[in-house]
Amino acid sequence: MHTQDFPQLASVEKIEQGFESHGYICSRKIATAVFLAFQLRKPVLVEGPPGVGKTELAKTLSELLETPLIRLQCYEGLDEAKALYEWKYGKQLLYTQVLKEKLGDLLQGAQSLADSVAKLHQFGDIFYSEEFLEPRPLLKAMQQEKGAILLIDEVDKSDYEFESLLLEILSDYQISIPEIGTVKARTTPMVFLTSNNTRDISDALKRRCLHLYIPFPTVELEERIVLSRVPGVDEHLRHQLVGFVHSLRELDLKKAPAISETIDWARSLLLLHADHLDEELVRSTLNVLLKYEEDIEVTDLELRSLVSSNATDPHAA
Amino acid sequence: MQSNLVDFIQVLRTHEVRISPAETLDAVDVTKSLGYADRNLLRDGLAMTLAKTPEEEVIFLHCFDRYFQQDLADFSMSDSSLPEQEADTSAPQDTAEQAAEFADAQVTALQLAAEDSATLQSLLKTPLMQSLVSNDRTELTMAMNQAAEKVGLQDIEMFTQKGQFTRRILDAMGEEHIRNTVIELEQQESPALPVLQRYRDTLREQVRDYVEREYLLHAEGKNRQFMDEILSKTRLNNIEHLYLHKVHELIRKMAKKLASRHSRRRKLLKRGRLDMAKTIRKGIPHDGIMFNTYWRQTRKEKPQILAVCDVSGSVAAYSKFLLLFLYSLQDILPKVRSFAFSSHLGEVSDYFSDYPVEKAIELVNWKYGGATDYGSSLLDFANLALDDINSNTTVIILGDARNNNGDPKLDIMQSVYQRARQVIWLNPESRRAWGTGDSEMLRYQSACHFSAECNNLKQLERIVDQLLKSSR
Repeated sequence: MHTQDFPQLASVEKIEQGFESHGYICSRKIATAVFLAFQLRKPVLVEGPPGVGKTELAKTLSELLETPLIRLQCYEGLDEAKALYEWKYGKQLLYTQVLKEKLGDLLQGAQSLADSVAKLHQFGDIFYSEEFLEPRPLLKAMQQEKGAILLIDEVDKSDYEFESLLLEILSDYQISIPEIGTVKARTTPMVFLTSNNTRDISDALKRRCLHLYIPFPTVELEERIVLSRVPGVDEHLRHQLVGFVHSLRELDLKKAPAISETIDWARSLLLLHADHLDEELVRSTLNVLLKYEEDIEVTDLELRSLVSSNATDPHAA
Repeated sequence: MQSNLVDFIQVLRTHEVRISPAETLDAVDVTKSLGYADRNLLRDGLAMTLAKTPEEEVIFLHCFDRYFQQDLADFSMSDSSLPEQEADTSAPQDTAEQAAEFADAQVTALQLAAEDSATLQSLLKTPLMQSLVSNDRTELTMAMNQAAEKVGLQDIEMFTQKGQFTRRILDAMGEEHIRNTVIELEQQESPALPVLQRYRDTLREQVRDYVEREYLLHAEGKNRQFMDEILSKTRLNNIEHLYLHKVHELIRKMAKKLASRHSRRRKLLKRGRLDMAKTIRKGIPHDGIMFNTYWRQTRKEKPQILAVCDVSGSVAAYSKFLLLFLYSLQDILPKVRSFAFSSHLGEVSDYFSDYPVEKAIELVNWKYGGATDYGSSLLDFANLALDDINSNTTVIILGDARNNNGDPKLDIMQSVYQRARQVIWLNPESRRAWGTGDSEMLRYQSACHFSAECNNLKQLERIVDQLLKSSR
């Protein structure tokens, strides 16, 4: 990808504005990461708690640049046949059948065995060629003419061996296929890897990436996010609900509510025509925010104080 | 600026952020594309290439702020040294004006005095004094940096060197001249004496602060590495109680390093799900007829570790550390079962998983401490765990093999030896003492795949490393 093709990525400020116009409010740090990834042609390893918009970042960028998003979801047991490429075996078999039938015509005039072998060598060897190659996400990303956004999601869920497979792709943007040779990317894709930190990523992989950690947003940033995603919520309620979510995050919960939960909650409150938070309303909609029964029980005990502290002084948080 | 960046990376390295040369090059690229104009932008950009975990990022931000400190040293004397002058002025804007007036008054006082003293006159002409009088911070900070470079401040290692470096920097900046003049003015009882003294004190204070900052930046990390190095070589029973928590940290670090290398292994098998793709591919030379079948099934091999630790009086000094190591190991590796014994043996895995480390070790010592009886302990071990020992099991025994002349029950050791993949005995006594007196070590050794002397962390690390390598 070249700078002149993408004026959207010319500076950190432009990236911030571009993302905002697509409904993704990003912090300065995120915009810097995107800028550097583009300038230095390096993959970005995005870490952070679930639901802070790691995957969304890649999606929005693909919308912004109007390039295809190619996504590879990682899981235990993912191997190269599913991630890189696969041969079209059925067609290869058919090809040998066809070849066998045509063989008589092709070898016509050959006198000796040596002669026929020599003739055989004159045909192009297309059995292992790109025609019989079924590209999987990683190879597909390399083949895009105008570049692509490659999202390797939850890379920590894959096996250790798979990480080593990624190394060649991430540092040189090429894939080695033993039967064909090395396939270089037509245009360098922008690569995003996300991780939820379920296990440590190897140093070799980390070294090749820019490291971006997305934490939970600040109150101001989250209010802007809610404003852009759920514009129907009025200012007073927005203050209240973001403040409430922030005080929830300070409790000792199994899974703290993330941005995606805040947005879902804001949407539900809008549907319920709420204009302010009260204890009853929060209790009945708490399951949108919290995903564990224990968490709901813990919160239930402190609900009164949490709601009143955010209701009486919505601007304090 | 590039050498500055390299220097900064050096600082990060002493603070235990691992940075490879390739990352240094990346950092240079980052500075090229971001420029130096926006400090926060540069900081975020560098953090992305140099810090690889949230913990490292915290260290990075800390070091960045210290290293690329923007504010120049403050040499003006208005805040600290003139409280009595400003105590009665209430409005802040007045303060600045008064301070300026006061500074002017001081300069005049100095110049008046200079007429009587040749030394003071020549002093006032030196660049140092001129920038002090005019409070030219940039000039002074630069002079200070240059002097620091000249005396090699970045090599500071111990806090005891701080005074020495402060003096050397002051000398390099030409403070001696001021000092001599002060002595002369003292003899003359000149009215300008307090003014000059104040300049001298401010200068000294600023240099002292500067050295302090640089010490924290350069030496803190070095000291930590130094301590780690010493601790890992000291015999475990000599380490002071005070350093116990340090050792704990060190063991954790080590165990983690080992654990990251120790991942579950997958193995191709002769049954399971058919690997259709491979079967067809391999069949192509045979005209598409699939002579051989290939299977996709992989099996995860899960090495299991049984660790048995002697906690009797004879190894009391070591057992704490051995238990500490077991605790950390169990914390990090899956499938570690721990046992402790002296006269009888019991499983302590639950203590380790339920309690914090100090409490767990105390409980184990209290419950199982006493006189050693290897015979009956091995019997207990056989009852508890012999059936679980298979070709994936590694048994680690930590003890001195001093059995108070009782029955060693070698037959049980042998049946463990035959079942397990590996039996490892770590003995805190030195190899020469094995077999002397009531030590049964030589006999037990015959039923071990590997036995070693182990009384400091370095040895322990080497042994566990070997263990994991062979279990891969």
